[in-house]
Amino acid sequence: MTDEPKTLTRERIAVGDMWRYADDARSLPAAVPPKTLPSEPLVPQPGQQTLAVGQRVTRPDSRNHGLGRTKYIDDLAFPGMLFAKFKRAGIASARIMRIDTSAAEAMPGVMAVLTGNEIPVNSFGPTFQDQPVLADPIVRHAGDGVAAVAAVTEQIAAEAVEKITVDYEPLPAVFDPLEAMRDDAYKIHAPNSNIYASKVVRRGDVDKGFAQSDQIFEGRFTTQMVEHVPLEPHAAIAEWDANGRLTVWATIGRITLARADLARTLKLPMNRVRLIGTFVGGNFGGKNEISQEPALALLSKKAGRPVKGVFTRNDEFISSTTRHPFIMEYKTGVTKDGRILARSVRLILDGGAYCSWSATTLGKACILASGPYKIDNVHSEAHVIYTNKTMTGAMRGFGAPQVCFAYESHMDDIAKALGIDPLEIRLRNVFDEGTSSPTGQVLHSVVVRESLRNAADRFGWETRS
Amino acid sequence: MTDVTITVNGSVRSASVPPETTLLKLLRDVFQLTGTKLGCDVGDCGACTVLVDGMAVNACLMLAAQADGRQVLTIEGLAMKDRLHPLQKVFEESGALQCGFCGPGMLLSAKALLDDNPDPSSHDIRDALAGNLCRCTGYSKIVEAVQDAARAMRDPRTEDTRQLEMHGHD
Amino acid sequence: MKRRGRGIACMWYPIGFTVDANPSAAVVKVNEDGTATVLTGTVETGQGSLTVLGQIAAEALGIAADDVHVVSADTDVTPMDTGAIASRTTYVTGNAIRLAAENAKAILFETAGPMLQVMPSQLEARDRKIQVKGFPQRSVSIGEVAKRAQVGLGRPPIGSASWNPPTVAMDPETGQGKPFSTYVYATQIAEVEVDDETGEVDVLRIVASHDCGTPINPMLVEGQVEGGISMGIGFALQEEMLFNAQGCQINPNLTNYIMPTSLDMPEIVVDIVENYDPTGPFGAKGVGEPSLVPTAAAILNAIHDAVGVRITSLPATSEKILTAIKAKRAGERKQVPA
Repeated sequence: MTDEPKTLTRERIAVGDMWRYADDARSLPAAVPPKTLPSEPLVPQPGQQTLAVGQRVTRPDSRNHGLGRTKYIDDLAFPGMLFAKFKRAGIASARIMRIDTSAAEAMPGVMAVLTGNEIPVNSFGPTFQDQPVLADPIVRHAGDGVAAVAAVTEQIAAEAVEKITVDYEPLPAVFDPLEAMRDDAYKIHAPNSNIYASKVVRRGDVDKGFAQSDQIFEGRFTTQMVEHVPLEPHAAIAEWDANGRLTVWATIGRITLARADLARTLKLPMNRVRLIGTFVGGNFGGKNEISQEPALALLSKKAGRPVKGVFTRNDEFISSTTRHPFIMEYKTGVTKDGRILARSVRLILDGGAYCSWSATTLGKACILASGPYKIDNVHSEAHVIYTNKTMTGAMRGFGAPQVCFAYESHMDDIAKALGIDPLEIRLRNVFDEGTSSPTGQVLHSVVVRESLRNAADRFGWETRS
Repeated sequence: MTDVTITVNGSVRSASVPPETTLLKLLRDVFQLTGTKLGCDVGDCGACTVLVDGMAVNACLMLAAQADGRQVLTIEGLAMKDRLHPLQKVFEESGALQCGFCGPGMLLSAKALLDDNPDPSSHDIRDALAGNLCRCTGYSKIVEAVQDAARAMRDPRTEDTRQLEMHGHD
Repeated sequence: MKRRGRGIACMWYPIGFTVDANPSAAVVKVNEDGTATVLTGTVETGQGSLTVLGQIAAEALGIAADDVHVVSADTDVTPMDTGAIASRTTYVTGNAIRLAAENAKAILFETAGPMLQVMPSQLEARDRKIQVKGFPQRSVSIGEVAKRAQVGLGRPPIGSASWNPPTVAMDPETGQGKPFSTYVYATQIAEVEVDDETGEVDVLRIVASHDCGTPINPMLVEGQVEGGISMGIGFALQEEMLFNAQGCQINPNLTNYIMPTSLDMPEIVVDIVENYDPTGPFGAKGVGEPSLVPTAAAILNAIHDAVGVRITSLPATSEKILTAIKAKRAGERKQVPA
């Protein structure tokens, strides 16, 4: 690994590479945007040319970023392009009785209005197709879209959305996953149970392990709902050609799945859908499935013009996926020298109104829940529950940050009670090369012990017990 | 409609816009200067930061009419013809930007700082950039890059530039 | 009074999807001048994945990273890819690109064999040349070979390949199986200062030691770890979507939803653990998600070390910490005999 000097040395600023400031226009001729970009390619030194791997190669996209030239979706414009806005339910659980869009449609500048009943297949999702593009007729969380408008300006679209009136019949709502698990709870996706996926990892015999333990520790931990907050909100543009072929530019990190979902919701052959993922301004898991794209495509079809939709920051919070809140119960049996003999874990995930990537989050959390520790007797079980809240989905770590918070807090509590240094108790239990994981997988390239030692060295960790 | 004339990146530009038009809308939608980004539209994220008479402002919070007669610098004007601004150069070399969406605002806030304080401490930099949210980088490489750029700009070899700059700010 | 504490947390994290196939396909085209174009269906979402994928293609072809252009994310143009998810791009897409580059290189070797009068198996690609192993002076430039392959032999040096991480389904009753092909490991240690009169936490320093297999681009690995830590700090101390009794979010904006700014970030030391995973491209695994996994745990353990209270619900706001400190003091007072 090469370590380039952190500081910018004189050598790195080539002689003659003087700069001037563009805002010094008062003393300089009027500045114009650069026509030809500076050409400073990374030319590898002879002998280094084939050592591409391991080099601190400069990102080719960073020059465009620095010059403001990266084209994100909101920076694209097409002739005649319209702007879409969404009407959000604002009520967490309800049946839509009537939607009146006539006042919106009558507004000058409004070119198309869309409601859920106009969507050919009004459902999508990576595991279960339980999420509507626009709610129809059941609203399951306050951020559900209920109608969309395309207009010649964003302002007109936003005003038109305000003129849409919706009559709701309020339905019972349930926000607490523990309450939602009860048999008598309101069923958010009736007739299905609110417990929409479960997972178990079982190895050895936890009861025997606890019986053999010198001491048993228990802990309960909870985490909150978190938003991805990409700096660039979700954005997309839809346009049809004269042959009925659809092109969508979208902030989606997973275009293969997104094209399949788009084709499915619109009932189009997949070869008539082109999805282009432009440079995405931050993903973190929140942009891995379609959201507004089918609605934009249908608005565009109705209006016969390209339609752009950019989420407001409010949309981003209330109508995109979020991180699952967890309720985590841990029970661990240890010997008096700090070796873990048995661990049982129960995880309850607040799954929000729709499944999205919950099944993946549930699975990873359940597999990882006992931590990177050699434990002969493990029982982990996890359940994800529908609630009438913003849908939870993929977010950087898929449940691992939640369970790591729990198993590592729990580990420190055990270390303290036993009078063992926190670093030491981990070194006594962590995986090694060839360890069999809780799912019985023989692990390779395992360096958790090295990472503990490296971190302790770099930190200057002094053992205390 | 309101008539607005501003000097953008050294060029005098005029437009007639509805009075509620923000400076951000004027720059992006009317002047097609899309380098300035919209992240929240209420002044929380700093993605729309531009310099107005040398001061870093959130373009989403300023009306176009308030910028009438003033000098506006956007990211498109930070580089000069065939030369990158040292901040752009160092940001690029050190991988200070990831998704890049916060970049234009971040670079302009950094420029406003360095124009005012050529030798900022790490805390000065963190303070000056506190209004520019970034979700990708953890700000580490950004803060280091601003320090590196400041060091480069203080290099005696760049004296000509400093004179130019001082003259420009008379 | 401000009290300092330290906290440690380690973790493991898998690369790719749980059991389910998550393949990537790729096409590598060597141009007539020895530069190359890569087609991939993944999307650049900020991490620098296209830079890393270009480096992998360059290494496989024996050319410079700058010689490779990566075209991505267009369903009409680029081959199938499972996408920028599950920390899989370097590992899975990287393997597909490496294999595609090897296939293109095989055509170059078959072309160069007669030119250098050796068997293709005796050749290697280095320094923008195809050369005889052990005799680097016997070489032809890759551009010359590529051109000859295309216009001389009519075999353009284009390779395509796909790769999917091997897994074994989990038993539904016991979960036994091989859900992932590989995992990464990491430890973070946090030093914090807690004001025991206000409950406020200042994260002073985080040392992060991460395994990603071979770091294809150490600068970008550091960027992922530093960024992950900021997200972890938000998760630990600040961020929370709050709802009213009717289920409507009450802070759907960045004024009231607090996330880390430059002022909230500590000094970060990134250590990349030396490792090589033979199943990854040039030994690489991944780093995107694991970077934030241990952060909150390390910070919460440091808070516990500093002021002796165990916060069990995130985020650990100053209100929660102060309440816990007061409860602890009240408990201690009770224990003092009257």
